[in-house]
Amino acid sequence: MSVFNEPHALDGLQNLDSQAIAAIYDQYFSEVYRYVRYRINDDSLAEDIASDVFMRLLEAAQKKQGPRSSLKGWLIATASHAVNDHLRKEYRRPVEALSDSLPDREPSVHSEVDSREQNRLVQSAYAQLTAEQQHVLALRFGQGYSIEETAVHLNKNINAVKALQFRALASLQRQIGEVNHE
Amino acid sequence: MNNLHEALEICLQDMEQGADLETVLFRYPDLAEELRPILEAVAGAKSLAVPAPSVEVVRRNRARVLHTAAQYAAQMRESGVKPTRRLWFAPLRRIAVTLAILTVLFVSGTGLVGASSNTLPGDNLYPVKRTWEGVRLLFTFKGLEREALEVEQENERLHELNELIKEGRSAEVDFNGLVTSQNGNEWVVAGVRVLVSSQTDIRDQGIVVGSPVEVRGLTQADGTVLAERIRLLSSDAKLPDVEDGHEPEAGNENNSGPGSGEEQPKVEETETPEFENENENSGHGNNSGSNENQNENENSNSNESSGTGNPNNESNENSDNENEGNESRNENSGEGSNKNENENENENNSGGSENSSSGGGESGEGD
Repeated sequence: MSVFNEPHALDGLQNLDSQAIAAIYDQYFSEVYRYVRYRINDDSLAEDIASDVFMRLLEAAQKKQGPRSSLKGWLIATASHAVNDHLRKEYRRPVEALSDSLPDREPSVHSEVDSREQNRLVQSAYAQLTAEQQHVLALRFGQGYSIEETAVHLNKNINAVKALQFRALASLQRQIGEVNHE
Repeated sequence: MNNLHEALEICLQDMEQGADLETVLFRYPDLAEELRPILEAVAGAKSLAVPAPSVEVVRRNRARVLHTAAQYAAQMRESGVKPTRRLWFAPLRRIAVTLAILTVLFVSGTGLVGASSNTLPGDNLYPVKRTWEGVRLLFTFKGLEREALEVEQENERLHELNELIKEGRSAEVDFNGLVTSQNGNEWVVAGVRVLVSSQTDIRDQGIVVGSPVEVRGLTQADGTVLAERIRLLSSDAKLPDVEDGHEPEAGNENNSGPGSGEEQPKVEETETPEFENENENSGHGNNSGSNENQNENENSNSNESSGTGNPNNESNENSDNENEGNESRNENSGEGSNKNENENENENNSGGSENSSSGGGESGEGD
């Protein structure tokens, strides 16, 4: 497997070169998908949105408005916007709908049921956060980015990201508590 | 408050290294009460992380993305080179008008046509000249002969333009040629300096050095043409053989090369078919004429390969010189016999330039 050469891929992208686009896809699709899937608790929807991010990349390249430096930064930012657009359309989804959308698997042991229930609680609580709070948690704990890399993606200084991260986690904890009491 | 944010980040990094919750909180006894629920939430946040998509998901969307990319690439290529309509595809209406004018011309006597042959754009009889050219083209059916005539007429456009410039007259001209230089607002097309302004109508994107274009504009006293409109022509468009015809011929005149200066004016209209046959059959005909033409082509090739754009001024001067002495040559076939090789050369040039230039141009753009 050849090493991904980002400058070369960016050049190829400008000309809609199929090899360059295939290399970009292979390099980043999984990462984009995991980001979107972290933020949206729906496999097929996450797949559609992740795929749409790459369609937007092609459109941008065709209009000569594509990324010129950081492909990953562009793709994650576009994924974030796409998720926000989707969430705006589905403004304030009821919590029940989330539980309905969970895959219906046959519970085998109690621990698995507990785990799934806990995941549902966290998912519901996470859905109540602001888009920016969701974004920072997805980058830090979904993607596993460092505080420095997250700062680059958010275009903020590190201290601001630390504060945002703190508020997001505090808010998540509060929402988990509230969902637990419902 | 900043201490709390900083402590959280340090705790997160420690836990990332494998430390447990109690251990990391032990470092911050004053902040432990506030940090504990936050760090418990981290476990929840991490639990939402998902693994990489399945191979099936990756494969399915890969095919979709690459299919769309291929479509966009095809659209990009199509928009880059738009086929342009040529004169001989003119609509029936124009043919009807031409026939009507032809009838009038025959009735009023062909002397009018003769009188118009040396006119320039802006002259009263110039429309007669152009109409007569259209008529000649209309009744020329043989492929090679027709192409020769088209190239000859394109040469005539350049000749007229150079005459206008020499006389310092301002008139509307139109001509075809290869872009050999694009230096800011000053382009060089077929050896003519063309000024591009914000008023210039350039509908076709992707005009680069080497592109065949049609220029319409006004001649200026300083020897330039102020462009009103520039259109990209198709790669098979007929272009004047500016490099082939002008420079070496001027050289012949200046240097009095072996016989070549005298041979060209001798070529008469009636020889046109012979040159066409010569091209087709590679056989009989005026050997001296054909050799000379080959030499001209070689000259032009060496000029082009050594760098387009350098000899722009020279080519202007040369074409002036040529025009002084070779009025009758407009009707001869010497230039026409060059056309096939010229066209191949032009196509090759334009293709190569498009490829090399488009990449650079695109890579320079972006948001």
